[in-house]
Amino acid sequence: MPRRRFLLPFLILALMTAGTVRHALLGADAQAKAQSTRPPPSFERDIKPLLQAKCTRCHGENIHRSDLDLSTPSGIRKGGESGAVIVPSKPDESLLFEKVHSGKMPPKKKDRLSDTEVDSIRRWIAAGAKFDSDENAKASAEALTQHDVIPIVLRHCAVCHGLHRKEANLDLRTKVAMLRGGKSGPAIVPGKPDESLVIKKVLAGQMPPRDRLVEVSVKPIDPDEIDTLARWIAAGAPEVVVEPDIAATTPDPLVTDKDRDFWAFRPPQPMTVPKVQNVKRVRNPIDAFVLQKLEDKGLTLAPQADRATLMRRVHFDLTGLPPEPVEVQAYLTDRAPDAYEKLIDRLLASSRYGERWGRYWLDLAGYADSEGKREQDLPRPHAWRYRDYVIRAFNADKPYARFLLEQLAGDELADYEKAPEIGQEIYDNLVATGFLRMAPDATWANITGFIPDRIEVIADEIEVLGSAVMGLTMKCARCHSHKFDPIPQRDYYRLAAVFKGALDEYDWLKPDIRPGIGPVSQDILTGRNLPHVTTAERQSWMEQNKKAPKDKQRPEPRIHALWDRGDPSPTYIYRRGDPQSIGRLVGPGVPSVLTDGKTPFEVKPPWPGAKQTGRRLAFARWLTQPDHPLTARVAVNRIWKHHFGNGLVKSLGNFGKSGTPPSHPELLDWLAREFVKQGWSVKSMHRLMMTSATYRQSSAVTADHTKHDPENSLYSRMPLVRLDAEALYDTLLLVAGRLDETPCGPGDAVKVRADGLATPAGTTKGWRRLIYVKMMRKQLPTHLENFDFPQMNPNCVERRDSTVAPQALHLMNNGMVQELAEHFAKRVSREAGTDPAKRVEGVYWIALSRLPTGEEKQIGMDALNKLTERWNKQLAAAGKTDREEATMKALTSYCHAIMNSASLLYVD
Amino acid sequence: MSALEQPSLSRRDLFSRVSGGILGAALTYLLSRDDCSGSRLFADEGAGAVHADLRPRPPHIPAKAKSVIHLFMNGGPSQMDLFDPKPMLDRHHGQSYFDRIAGEVENPQSAGALMRSPFRFARYGQCGMWVSEALPHLARQVDDIALIRSMYTTNLTHEPAIYLIQSGKMGPGRPTLGAWVVYGLGSENQNLPAYVVLDDPLGLPINGVENWQSGFLPPLFQGTRFRSTGSPVLNLRPDVARPEAVVQTERELVTRLDHLHRRQRPGQPTLDARIASYELAARMQVSATDALDISSETQATREMYGVGRAPTDSYARRCLIARRLVERGVRFVQLYINAQIWDNHTTLATDLKAACERTDQPIAALLRDLKQRGLLESTLVVWGGEFGRLPIAQLPADRDELKAGRDHNKNAFCTWMAGGGIKAGTIYGATDELGLAAVENRVSVPDWHATILHLLGLHHEQLFLEINGLRERLTGVNEAHVVHGILT
Repeated sequence: MPRRRFLLPFLILALMTAGTVRHALLGADAQAKAQSTRPPPSFERDIKPLLQAKCTRCHGENIHRSDLDLSTPSGIRKGGESGAVIVPSKPDESLLFEKVHSGKMPPKKKDRLSDTEVDSIRRWIAAGAKFDSDENAKASAEALTQHDVIPIVLRHCAVCHGLHRKEANLDLRTKVAMLRGGKSGPAIVPGKPDESLVIKKVLAGQMPPRDRLVEVSVKPIDPDEIDTLARWIAAGAPEVVVEPDIAATTPDPLVTDKDRDFWAFRPPQPMTVPKVQNVKRVRNPIDAFVLQKLEDKGLTLAPQADRATLMRRVHFDLTGLPPEPVEVQAYLTDRAPDAYEKLIDRLLASSRYGERWGRYWLDLAGYADSEGKREQDLPRPHAWRYRDYVIRAFNADKPYARFLLEQLAGDELADYEKAPEIGQEIYDNLVATGFLRMAPDATWANITGFIPDRIEVIADEIEVLGSAVMGLTMKCARCHSHKFDPIPQRDYYRLAAVFKGALDEYDWLKPDIRPGIGPVSQDILTGRNLPHVTTAERQSWMEQNKKAPKDKQRPEPRIHALWDRGDPSPTYIYRRGDPQSIGRLVGPGVPSVLTDGKTPFEVKPPWPGAKQTGRRLAFARWLTQPDHPLTARVAVNRIWKHHFGNGLVKSLGNFGKSGTPPSHPELLDWLAREFVKQGWSVKSMHRLMMTSATYRQSSAVTADHTKHDPENSLYSRMPLVRLDAEALYDTLLLVAGRLDETPCGPGDAVKVRADGLATPAGTTKGWRRLIYVKMMRKQLPTHLENFDFPQMNPNCVERRDSTVAPQALHLMNNGMVQELAEHFAKRVSREAGTDPAKRVEGVYWIALSRLPTGEEKQIGMDALNKLTERWNKQLAAAGKTDREEATMKALTSYCHAIMNSASLLYVD
Repeated sequence: MSALEQPSLSRRDLFSRVSGGILGAALTYLLSRDDCSGSRLFADEGAGAVHADLRPRPPHIPAKAKSVIHLFMNGGPSQMDLFDPKPMLDRHHGQSYFDRIAGEVENPQSAGALMRSPFRFARYGQCGMWVSEALPHLARQVDDIALIRSMYTTNLTHEPAIYLIQSGKMGPGRPTLGAWVVYGLGSENQNLPAYVVLDDPLGLPINGVENWQSGFLPPLFQGTRFRSTGSPVLNLRPDVARPEAVVQTERELVTRLDHLHRRQRPGQPTLDARIASYELAARMQVSATDALDISSETQATREMYGVGRAPTDSYARRCLIARRLVERGVRFVQLYINAQIWDNHTTLATDLKAACERTDQPIAALLRDLKQRGLLESTLVVWGGEFGRLPIAQLPADRDELKAGRDHNKNAFCTWMAGGGIKAGTIYGATDELGLAAVENRVSVPDWHATILHLLGLHHEQLFLEINGLRERLTGVNEAHVVHGILT
């Protein structure tokens, strides 16, 4: 069949692309001229043998590395992951020429093509890359199928003629539906493009309607696409049955059994606790694993830290706050043998624990109270429920496997739509799915809500999942097969297919903007809306609103959730990550390297008759199997990091080949199995780690340490830790007696001064913990920015500690810190009386959980003296003599200095 | 080491000029130690092998320029009304064109017909560059600049387009150009931040502080805002005034306690870094205040920039301060204007003119001043926004053509560069006859980035940070070509 071109007045578009042509290499041009008299190489005679000799071993019939098959003309025409490999007549734009010309391919030096061979390829392409007559004809006649057409329909038509909206009663997503047509009759007449309504409408410029393109976030259809559509119809609209490529249909040549043998891709192995010399120091198996490596280097565990140090460390580690003086005193006088264990249990039971450890998880999820990306940083008015869910989950010691299950597939755990009542459990399940709705999202705006923008959001969510839970850098495989790990591009798209029931770029749930409320994620046309909160909360809201005057009415409480809507669009691989460049059809699946490569990924509806696909539920169940190679390892490694400073695997979010190998592989596996054995209980892991002798070590650095374990990767001591942004802020509040411990609920406001200084506004009782301050991406408190709070783009796998001047400026000059110093001073004078020595002691007890040393006490009393004198002078100059005021101001200055001191900022 | 040694008098004089000083006389001691090395200041390198200090670093190749002044024209200055005259628009003024570019228009409901420029153009300088009458001052400096008329970008919305031109990718979270430069080259002055942002006191640009973020690079490399009025750095001065003697005593107390704390904890370099950071904080207050003090400039200089006169005063101050900063070895200075003065969706004839009137004289003066001081050879001045504008009119709701503006255009815009390594008087690239799209010698945003890095002696592929096994670069995985046509 001759290839028909539908010429259209798309002058401008042509104009726009014409300029992209890069200047050809001068040398190549000159050569071409010189040799123009020679006949071009023939494919059969010259090119095919060359490709067979050098390329098809990896890009052949059986092994399609980079999804490329160079063994047949059709394979060559189709191209691979990186798109087309030949552009007829343009060797300099042809990947095939570029790769062999630059010597990047074949990868082995000895296989490289000779200059003559490279030139043959160049000349063949320059002459139009013609296949010999028969082959050429065959390649051109290669029939288009519905899979060439469906992506075009999805891009340009399905938003109004698809699953949810069927304008003119028309659905264009399948051939059957096209034939059935709509109000005006069938959309296509197979064999007759000119009589097909869809072609007529498109050619007439009526569809997609130009004036509505932006409103529905659709790009105009381009001539090539119309051409494809018309050729498919002309060929009789042929359909082929292509089974989606799922992990088991064909063994994946890119993932071998050798790849599966990499340590992180095998389930954690049972480990025997090693025998060590210094048995006396072993309190639990952790110590044996650590000691073994230390003894290999001639080291041993550092001496145990003193009780006061240990107590402060344990407090910060579990609650992010220092102990109160009475707690220190009680602990120091408790001589019971299990006093330390009781202390840990008491802190684990405190609600402050969830506020500390929940925050670590919020970093991983990329929690924020706003959408980000656009200037108008719209609030996410319901996101805080997810924050509260996380805090409650940690406090309740929700098993980690369950925690993941709820966050990944909470909407598929129970039929919330048909439930007569939304109780706490369904509510929690739905709120938990907010985990995969935390990425920055500007798709609410017409102009940033196009398909590529939506794909960015989906890519961010996959990155969150990969880096936070799986320890895999999945995002690399979005555009090409992973360069280091055995993760082919199709694995990425299989994972995208898992989430497609809820995150579908062709059926997008756009956050809908309501003035004064912000985005509420509602599709007005189909009435899909964010799910309701618990029936009880909803009723109470309705009753309150009934009584309240119109202007005092509160917006309807809802849940910032993710939910499966059923019947997702098909998933195609996007070559180079470009949604215009469609590759093969894939089905839902998990990374092949984490499976045996044979067992298919099985998806069932979550309950009989469910419209939900059940894909995420199947995925979550797979992820939380007891012997999953990564899930438990990644989790215990993080808990370990927060207690011991370094992860056993230092690259917390990358357990792949480009990550760092574990320093103590046996210990990691032992802990991972122990974690599962203890019912995925995070609190059990804290108990286990914190009662080890390793944890109780002193943080003092000795010459031996510097020599044999400079990075502390053997855990020869405990690290000296700088308080992070939250711990520092909360501690200043606690010390000043201004910490309002009201938990949960919407975040507290942040005031922004004209010069940009942003400060939490506080409550009537002081200020709440930082985790309860509203996290607007563009209005973060300055304190957070100064003390290394990360930008959530999309999440933060590990925070960095910096030590820079703005931190000093903040603590010295910031008005809120100064105000807290005044409160601190008042508290000291209340609790310690007027005696300067007692005051200095009081300051140390409150701020540093210990008594001052003799030297510190002397320094403190001298300073109080001097400061009082200075203030006296100052007041006298102002015509006031107020001894008491001077003393109080001096104490404030002293307290301010202690708040600035390294002793407060660093935990031993 | 005692923090209480006798300070020198001249330093004390200097200090006495600083109003609202925080750290008392101990400062003057610190100032007598200007040689304090950067390595100590930022000794805390954190995890991994990323360097995290501002010591000067050698470039990859010999550098043509040592520092950059980036005049960021956020909003999207209209190329066909400033630098790229289009006679075809005069000829076809009033003809409908929307249907052919429907997908490229942000606000289709307000699209009008082709619109000629309300400004007259003439040729200037030896090079004969066409410049619009809206830029009379720059017109006299055209022989110092190289104009690129063929820039294009990939998004026609401000936020993503600004992210792209600032950081190479259309979203937040990536290091910006300035952050990459100071990561690559460090700073010549350890008392000032290496990357200074002079934002408009009237308000932040679109994307706010994300315009100078360091992304995944250590926060040390992010831009530091110097406000040209009031306190130049957040928290640089105390919110609550306290007598200097008290502040001094308190400062000494912190120093004593911290030294004691460190003595008890040998082998913890982070504690040295922490003490050094307090010292730098003190020095910064003085240095920053001095660099921003334009009262020491001559009357003639201030007048040349347009200081003290509306409408140039605000931008003139920033331009003059920019010169003072590069003079002091600051590596990267970036200037902003509030709101989106170049975003002329409506009343382009008056609003674009007003934008030029605020900036034209100060910018021309900056070029002249740098030149006469011999600083232009080592400084790269870069002018440009995030995209250009369309040849068709954008009309207000009442369709009044007198109030017409132009909508965003991602396919064509102009930028210029001047100074170290730039072939002055060059006109590079061309757009089609309507100015709709760059067609000749097209320059992408990654090309533009690679060119700026190249002039500073940095190769865009060698300037990277390895994260999770990926070499993250400013130009990302994009192909990028240095625009040799504008280089000497």
